[in-house]
Amino acid sequence: MLRPVKMSRVVVAGSKNVISPVVEKLHELRLLHIVNYNGSQPQFEMGKPIGKAKEYSEDLIKLRSVTRYLELNKKFPDKAYPESQVLSELDNLLNNVGADVTATYERIVAIDAEVKSKQDQIKALTPLAVLPLPLEAYYGYDSLATFVGTATTSVDADVARVSPVNEIYSGSAKNATFVAVFVPAEKAGEVSSVLSEHGFSETSVPRLEGNVDSAIATLGGSIKSLEGEKVPLQKKLADMKKQYEDLMLATDEYLSMQTQKTEVPLRFAETANAFVIDGYVPADQFSRLKSELESAAGGRLEVSLIADKETDELVEKGEDVPTQMDNPSLVKPYELITRMFAIPEYKEFDPSLLIFVFFPIMFGMILGDIGYGVMSLLTMVLLKKKFKTPGWQQLINVVLISSVWAIIFGIFFGEIFGPLGLWGKVMGQLPEHELEAVKVAGLYFGEGVFGSLGRIGFWPGIDIFPMDRLASNAVLLLIGTSVIIGIIHCSVGSILGIKTELAYGEKKHAYFERLPVMLVQVFFGLLVLGLVIGQMMLVIASAIVILVAMVMLVMGPEGPMGLAHMPFYVSNLISYLRLLAIGLASVGLAFAANQLAFYVVMPMLSGGATDSAEFTIPAIIAGLVVLLAVHFINFLLGILSPFMHPLRLHYVEMFTKFYSNHGGGVEYSPFGHVRRFLKA
Amino acid sequence: MVVVADAGTLYGLLAVGAGLATGLAGIGAGMGEQGIGAAVVGVVAEEPGFLGKGLFLMLLPETLIIFGLAVSLILMFAWTPFSGIVTP
Repeated sequence: MLRPVKMSRVVVAGSKNVISPVVEKLHELRLLHIVNYNGSQPQFEMGKPIGKAKEYSEDLIKLRSVTRYLELNKKFPDKAYPESQVLSELDNLLNNVGADVTATYERIVAIDAEVKSKQDQIKALTPLAVLPLPLEAYYGYDSLATFVGTATTSVDADVARVSPVNEIYSGSAKNATFVAVFVPAEKAGEVSSVLSEHGFSETSVPRLEGNVDSAIATLGGSIKSLEGEKVPLQKKLADMKKQYEDLMLATDEYLSMQTQKTEVPLRFAETANAFVIDGYVPADQFSRLKSELESAAGGRLEVSLIADKETDELVEKGEDVPTQMDNPSLVKPYELITRMFAIPEYKEFDPSLLIFVFFPIMFGMILGDIGYGVMSLLTMVLLKKKFKTPGWQQLINVVLISSVWAIIFGIFFGEIFGPLGLWGKVMGQLPEHELEAVKVAGLYFGEGVFGSLGRIGFWPGIDIFPMDRLASNAVLLLIGTSVIIGIIHCSVGSILGIKTELAYGEKKHAYFERLPVMLVQVFFGLLVLGLVIGQMMLVIASAIVILVAMVMLVMGPEGPMGLAHMPFYVSNLISYLRLLAIGLASVGLAFAANQLAFYVVMPMLSGGATDSAEFTIPAIIAGLVVLLAVHFINFLLGILSPFMHPLRLHYVEMFTKFYSNHGGGVEYSPFGHVRRFLKA
Repeated sequence: MVVVADAGTLYGLLAVGAGLATGLAGIGAGMGEQGIGAAVVGVVAEEPGFLGKGLFLMLLPETLIIFGLAVSLILMFAWTPFSGIVTP
């Protein structure tokens, strides 16, 4: 579970005559992770595609362009098609349906472009309405230069100065003066510079005829008729999408599979008459691969296992052994979190199991509220039905399991939508005199009870659960708990780090880099504990161990520089205080929401009533709105922060101790295809 | 023993100190996240797969505010340096 699946290095060699059935079988088995041949050996050359590789990829490109027009996305399959049906409809789909879709789509694009250009013309024409000229008067002159546009000041006098022969029309539109200036062509340059002094900016006049208003009306009419043409076309595309969606996705899958199969020899090594495939297969699947392939090739093939020692040599030369994480189904979702950081290397530990153990507890400890926990549980159950792709399912499962822990911690913390209040109504509260007594004794941990069970505690005589997280004693207790969780979490990381370094044969790193870190963290915790409970012996002993660890660090691979990391190790532990701190923030907000609604908004709007029976209806409604709004915001934050912060604790505080120091691994991706839209 | 100041005033100053510890740490963390956030958004625009790592990089400076909070909590709950002097 903590280790990836054991892999074996295999070599498949066979006659070229049987390459097709072998590829077919390999594709079906989905077992062999192929190592690409890099062309380094002179006696072998790279393989060439087999069969109709070119045709398949051309068809695929055709199909993809059609699916793009239809805006088809990958989705969860509604039904699966047999390969024969896909094959028989392939031609029709690509040529007839494809051509139809393409033509329809292109017509829609053309209509859009035309509408756009007509709209631009209308935009340009509208201001021209203020000038008393028909549209054909603006263009078509040989000896005249025309300037049409807006000017900030009156241009008549200045234009007349440079060109005594002129014709100027002006009119004011919304907040600019619109002018049309006609001058002899030879004066164009001078007039243009004069106009620019008046802040002139030119507008292009569409080459249309007749009166401006009627031209605008004509354009508007043709836009309307174009839009009218577009609607049935869009509906046609939508209908076609509905009709062919699954078939197209199935065809896409079929063609992708065929291209995969026909192009895979590019990854093989070949001679004139034979082919060789290098690859990895899970060790326990080797005999199955061997027997299946040999029967497919009718004996004209050799599958051999390479000894571990030789494999190690290949790995040293830079070949990556693929990693397949091996976890029970309950832990599987947490591989998502591992993967987001890096794929573990073959020799490393797969931390998914540890995330499965720690992550939900941390999430629960931060959220810790029955109300929010149930809400997030319900939300996730709904989302689970809606998002069916594996990635989403994993993410949802992670939050789902964490929500259960949030409910469990909610019971410890006595919180239903915030501390006290609702809990007290459901479970009952501590009697007033007992409350006073514990407050006087300085042992106040909250006032809720577990119904008939009363209060429960883990120290005899001090019953602390259900605990009010906002009480100072509870804060102190949770600080301690957070740091203890931190020490355990980091220590597990360090132990794995030591084992990983040993697996890589780096003894010095294991004993003088990883081990001292663990010693420092554990004994720093004990030292603080000693100070708190006043045990000087413990303090002195811990200090001695820390000193020894520091000496070990100096002797380690980094030398005295290793000591520079010391503050980091201590800050690692303090970082776990976020388990308490973010929880407090969320409790605080929930508490504030309840106080605001029931003790501020409702009494104030009821004219200072103090008893809930005197609250007026509008006041109660306003109070509930405030209550819901604040709780909703808190709920959203309450999903996000408890998710991100434990994530960070894993990535920064724990993974740095053992994970991915040697670079990420390569994921085991066997040659083959998971059929989604096609029947096997 | 001499009464240095009114106990309430001293406790108030303690609370102000605790507030400053968290508040200033928060400002510092915010300034740190500002740069990282901008860079992460830039990278995610180029390569969406980086979002997870980016979010986690965003959280790195948040440790700072936890330190501030730890100091505040110690000031408010765990450490009463004036208990000896303020008793009249």
